[in-house]
Amino acid sequence: MNVLNYIYFILVGFGVLFSFLRMLLGPTSADRLAALDTLNVVLTGTIVFLALVFKNGLYLDIALVYGLLSFVETVLIARYLEGKK
Amino acid sequence: MINVIIIFIGILMAISAIFAVESKKIIDSFIALSLMSLLSVFLFVIMKAPDVAITEASVGAGLTTAVLVLALRKIGGDKE
Repeated sequence: MNVLNYIYFILVGFGVLFSFLRMLLGPTSADRLAALDTLNVVLTGTIVFLALVFKNGLYLDIALVYGLLSFVETVLIARYLEGKK
Repeated sequence: MINVIIIFIGILMAISAIFAVESKKIIDSFIALSLMSLLSVFLFVIMKAPDVAITEASVGAGLTTAVLVLALRKIGGDKE
């Protein structure tokens, strides 16, 4: 690994940590859902970066499947939160 | 480097699982369960098991959350 990978993983680690803190102590459920969506996008991009690091094209399929399914999941929970009251 | 990433993701998974059990509202518990599934997929990718990661992604992100949220909507929400 060269120095660019270290910089990328340190920055992604800070992003995951602060977004996870918002998921833990968010006051409402909408804050937790927004933090979950942010984590979905960040970790899907990290899986694509790992496909570059490991030099294996099979990891791109995981990122594709998880990107589609996380969108469906976010829309389902958001529609539940919208129709609650 | 890989060991540091595995320990970091494992600690976040343990905290998320404890939060999913101890949460007051049911929808917060579902959100924490989905987050634990996402971190599990990332851990499978780190440990170089892509087929297990694809299965965990399709079951944990799509099927489990959809079934749980539709069942919660059908029984009329969470009342304290």
